Amino acid sequence: MTAEVAARRAPNQLALPADDSTKGLFAGCMARGMMRSLRTTLAVLLLVTARSSAAEDVVVYTSVDEIFARPIARGFEAESGITVRLVPDTEETKSTGLVNRLIAERARPQADVFWSGDPVRAAVLARKGVSAPYRSPQADGLPAQFSDPNGHWTGFSARARVLIYNRTLVPEGQTPTSVMDLLAPRFLGKACLANPLFGTTSMHAAALFAVLGDDKARALFESFTTNGGRMLSSNGEVRRRVANGECAVGITDTDDANVARLEGKPIGVVFPDADGIGTLVIPNCAVLIAGAPHPAAARRFVDYLLRPETERALAQSAAAQMPLRAGVPVPAGVVPLAQLRPMQVDYGVLAQLLETLSRGYLKDWVDRANSGR
Amino acid sequence: MISSLALERPGRWRAGGIGLLLGLIAAPDVLLLWRALGDGAAGAVGWSFVQAIGRSACIAGIAGLVGLMCGLPLGVGTALYRFRGRALLLALVTLPLLVPSFLWGIGWSSLAAALGVPFLLSGLPACVLVFAAGLVVPLVLLTAYAATAALTGSQIDAARLAGGEREVVWQASRNASAPALLAAALGGVLTLVDPGPGQIFGEQTAASEILTSFAALYDFGLAGRQCAVLAGLVLVGAVPLALLATARFANDLLAKQTRRAVPVTHERLAVLMVGALAMLTTAATILPTLGLLLPMVAGGPELLTWTARDPFQMNHPELVLFGAAAEVGRTAANSFLYAGGAALVAMLLGIGAAVCVGRFPRLRAAWLAATLALFCVPPALPALGIVALATSSPAWADALLRSRLTVCVALGLRLVPVSSVIALRAWASTSPSWAMAAALHGVPLHRYAARVLVPVLRPAVGVGLLLVALLASADIATVLLVHPPGESSLPLAIVTVMANAPEMLVSALCLVYIAGAAAMLGGLWVLSGAAEA
Repeated sequence: MTAEVAARRAPNQLALPADDSTKGLFAGCMARGMMRSLRTTLAVLLLVTARSSAAEDVVVYTSVDEIFARPIARGFEAESGITVRLVPDTEETKSTGLVNRLIAERARPQADVFWSGDPVRAAVLARKGVSAPYRSPQADGLPAQFSDPNGHWTGFSARARVLIYNRTLVPEGQTPTSVMDLLAPRFLGKACLANPLFGTTSMHAAALFAVLGDDKARALFESFTTNGGRMLSSNGEVRRRVANGECAVGITDTDDANVARLEGKPIGVVFPDADGIGTLVIPNCAVLIAGAPHPAAARRFVDYLLRPETERALAQSAAAQMPLRAGVPVPAGVVPLAQLRPMQVDYGVLAQLLETLSRGYLKDWVDRANSGR
Repeated sequence: MISSLALERPGRWRAGGIGLLLGLIAAPDVLLLWRALGDGAAGAVGWSFVQAIGRSACIAGIAGLVGLMCGLPLGVGTALYRFRGRALLLALVTLPLLVPSFLWGIGWSSLAAALGVPFLLSGLPACVLVFAAGLVVPLVLLTAYAATAALTGSQIDAARLAGGEREVVWQASRNASAPALLAAALGGVLTLVDPGPGQIFGEQTAASEILTSFAALYDFGLAGRQCAVLAGLVLVGAVPLALLATARFANDLLAKQTRRAVPVTHERLAVLMVGALAMLTTAATILPTLGLLLPMVAGGPELLTWTARDPFQMNHPELVLFGAAAEVGRTAANSFLYAGGAALVAMLLGIGAAVCVGRFPRLRAAWLAATLALFCVPPALPALGIVALATSSPAWADALLRSRLTVCVALGLRLVPVSSVIALRAWASTSPSWAMAAALHGVPLHRYAARVLVPVLRPAVGVGLLLVALLASADIATVLLVHPPGESSLPLAIVTVMANAPEMLVSALCLVYIAGAAAMLGGLWVLSGAAEA
């Protein structure tokens, strides 16, 4: 029986062993098939193990929303010729996040720079020994109160925590002006905030505890729950639910509020407590990673982030971020820092306070808020 | 020359092989768990975590039950009967596996808000709906489909002769019940480690607690201990389940039963199947997709002009779609690579497990119980373990430990429990007398494997590859932590963009992703149907 006849058999029939005259032919076919498979496997392995290595590149991990970070990265690429390999983060309630990746990679990092959307994550990295101090020459003009005194992170372009309200549900004259208004009877069951264990809401919670004191801050959270306030998964969810009228008022960040405004949603924005404790300002932070694989490119990128031009670009983008530097022009719709009453906080202390609160009162409050549904 | 009977004989190599495979799968988990258990506060996991386990167990149990009740008959019916629209409906029903569950949660939430009934979707019932419709039912359906499709023509004909269509459906359901039960258990375990719907619908789950430990407290030790407790509890539940399923896992075919079963046409049952699949498609895919796409439909005349340098010009929906398509273009290759690579890795290991386990019930029960327990570890833990391993390795190992191959391996290792259920089932249903006959005729092992085993296992392996690829696509946690900088996938890109992107862009990305996946799945089903013909 020839190999050709054997091959034409139905696949469910056992093949009889080939006789001597076809053994060589069969062995040859097997060998050619194996060689072909081996070549294909090697080609695939080369493809998947290949790591892109441009002539010069910089790896930037960022917790800033990708839609805002990517244009800045492209601007740096165009100006410097250095390729930026951007690694954006998800919202903290969606996945474990890049900070954990940075901590795990600490001994031999892949990242050169961490562009953080808030000082808390930057402070965590400094405490874990992930960051290296760097005082950029471009940091001149940036207020020192928004940066780490030891140089591990430098603050620039800030967001603020704001109250947003649905203009069709909240009439003029009844708009909220303070975070305390979330407890008002007129907003019974209609106020919302994001989970205070994550993101900028956690930072805001820590700031309230720092500024108001333990008792008043706890009373605020307890009253929020008693007033039927809703805890949502993220600032984006707060924006969505206030915009669609499911909630009348909420606390979120200026970039969330601005995106809703640009989408034409019927929301109003208030910078709270202008006459009281002030509005929490949340600066972006540039962090140089200790042991970065491309230290020179990393420093250039940090310098680029801290320039007045970058602050102007972020102010003009949909992020509507406030320049921290005086004299940087802002478009209509962006409130300059000089017109705000910033909350007086020490960001380093906030980070430590937040760790205590996250394991203690805030965790307990979130658990009760969840089980109360 | 190795005899064909080598695969049928008992031997120490089997336990050794299983130990090796389990060690490989568990290695990334063990790296971090070892550190976690050595931490100061050994044993402390928090009372809220203990409470959350109870709620998660409820969600898992109910979702698993619903999945079994809906998925088993649908999977069996789809395999046995031919009806109009079969390929399309099957593709649509399995589509939810491709998408991270929290996207479906957001879709349902948006739809409920638009209809003015947000109170209807919150808490435990909402979590069960999302998990059951979007995960467990498709998983059970595909597994039951694979198990039924592996039946031979003579088995079906014998049942039909004995008692008509009722007997065929009954016997086929009995045949598929054990793997379907295991698939329901796998789906239930997956719900334990997915924090998405719990976060969206305000339900405190074990997965949310572990996420809090990672993402809010940055406490690897606490997260590791919580994972260890969860895995231990699942192991306790998995052992009796594995023993129960093993007894009815598969029946050996008779040596001459090699004629493949062909789906037949049955008018009344066809109407029933179309109706049932259409209902499931509506609940699992169409309604939440509508919710996700509402912003695109609702985008009104108030759209404002963005700055000229902003790449996401929002003047018109068609520009938004163009922007979304560009994002797809940037990430499509990696998306396919990660999904396909993970499927290959998982199936190879699954087949390896099937070979080692053989037809020995104790080995089968031990493997199933162990992999179920490992499966309940959240993807972040093994991913961070791989990151830690890569960090402590020399730079020359980066090609293996910090490349796209690493993502494929990480995803594949995670999904071995899924592939191994399918592979074990397929292997156990082959006839040992084929190997005996081959050995009698002096056929070497490699030729027996190539000429006999591969054609018989091919359909089940195909389904397994597809299933693992679908599940791997939806895993963003692993990809986020392990992917080389600049080599993101589309699902991850959607999630990273959605935080503050305009709703229209997020909707456009979801539309392009879902439409592309549906087209791909539909094409695959049509091709496989053409190949059968």
